[in-house]
Amino acid sequence: MAEVQSLSHSAICVHDLKEAEDFYCGILGAHAHAGVNFITEDTIKGRSVHKSVVLEDYLIALALAGDFMPMPPDEQLRGAHGFRHAFTVGCERFNRTLDVMRQRGIKFQGPVTHPEKGPFGQSIYFKDPSGNFLEILWRRDENVAYDATPEFNGE
Amino acid sequence: MNVTLADRPSALDVAGIGYLVVQVGDLDEAIEFYRRVLRLDLVGRDILPASGSHAVLAAGRQLVVLASNPDRVDLKETGVHQAYRVSMPARDAIAAALAGEGVEVKAYKEDRPAEERDNFYFFDPAGNRIQLVVSGNAKAPGIAGIDHVAMLVADMLRSEDFYLNELGLAEDHRVGWATADYVRARKWAAGEEDMAPGTRRLDKRYTVMVNKKVVPRCNMQLFMRAGDAVLGIYLANQHFQEPPEELAVGMPRVALAAKRAQLDKTARALQAKGRTFLGPVVHPASAPVEASLYFRDVGGNFLELCVPRARG
Repeated sequence: MAEVQSLSHSAICVHDLKEAEDFYCGILGAHAHAGVNFITEDTIKGRSVHKSVVLEDYLIALALAGDFMPMPPDEQLRGAHGFRHAFTVGCERFNRTLDVMRQRGIKFQGPVTHPEKGPFGQSIYFKDPSGNFLEILWRRDENVAYDATPEFNGE
Repeated sequence: MNVTLADRPSALDVAGIGYLVVQVGDLDEAIEFYRRVLRLDLVGRDILPASGSHAVLAAGRQLVVLASNPDRVDLKETGVHQAYRVSMPARDAIAAALAGEGVEVKAYKEDRPAEERDNFYFFDPAGNRIQLVVSGNAKAPGIAGIDHVAMLVADMLRSEDFYLNELGLAEDHRVGWATADYVRARKWAAGEEDMAPGTRRLDKRYTVMVNKKVVPRCNMQLFMRAGDAVLGIYLANQHFQEPPEELAVGMPRVALAAKRAQLDKTARALQAKGRTFLGPVVHPASAPVEASLYFRDVGGNFLELCVPRARG
């Protein structure tokens, strides 16, 4: 086994870095982290054009698409445009998060209640301005401590 | 208390550009060109502090200062330029004068929508790129005023933070943040759009991840409103030596016209931020400005807030 440790970051393509940064930082609460190809040295090296934001401890690289990407229909709020990122909030905060989304004019689908026997409580589904599908959910198992690295018993 | 220059929501309170210091190699030749072709009036010589050997010319209610520097850096292929507002008849007259002098005029496709409708570029004898922008408000027979100025920076994000958050200028337009800008860059590379120097480049990729040797891109540009003028900063795609950190006054320089209280307020904020600055300096009655606060942006461009003296 390769024995990878954890998910490090995601690189997602966007159509507008300013718009995307405003969305991830201004609405979801991420922090601007860095930008590439915004300094002379990067232009000389021909590095890719992207910015990165950090949401808690998770880095999202916002890569500027070099060409226009196919966009999902406006009315489609739930899906996987190749992938979907799901962000967790505590159960007690979930309704306040919904209020914020409504106040900021972010269209979402849900909340959808998941089966009681599963780990997920409720989710809402929405998109970033570039059509990347996103989800916010609370988890029924938010107070459960999982053993992240089960030891091999050698048998 | 955290003091900010902007002290938002009240931004930097400036009327626009007070004057502009442009470096030229041959001062007499430049004076003649600006008088003869642009029809600017000579106000005086060596009357403005911190400007070396120079001539001051009137561009409407603003000033253009031609400062002698035989060692000036050649910026022809960069985005650096100065733009003046003119009426259509004035532009026609200047075009005729340029044609008479054998000066080539260029028109490009523009990134900034406000300039897309109409543009007109040429070089002065020293190689400074000049743009004329036709304005419906321009009534003067010659140059009505300074419309915008474009400078180079080596770090766009730091510069953006300085101008928008510290100085409190309002954003006008940005180029290079969106896919649409790079789609246009490919049109330029394909020869479908002729763009002004310094706005496009061919990046040599240092990765083998994509099967391309070069990628056409646009240079980052950020335009900001300063009173009735616009300041543009372009990301340089080559290194230029920056002035020493401790140097607050230099050339070329953009001086924004403000009231005296704004100079004091900005000085306090610069001090709180640990920025290099000098002043406010009060000038003698012979100077065309009453007082100046000299400082620089984070890219080493020399800036000034000045209190213009009323001209007769």
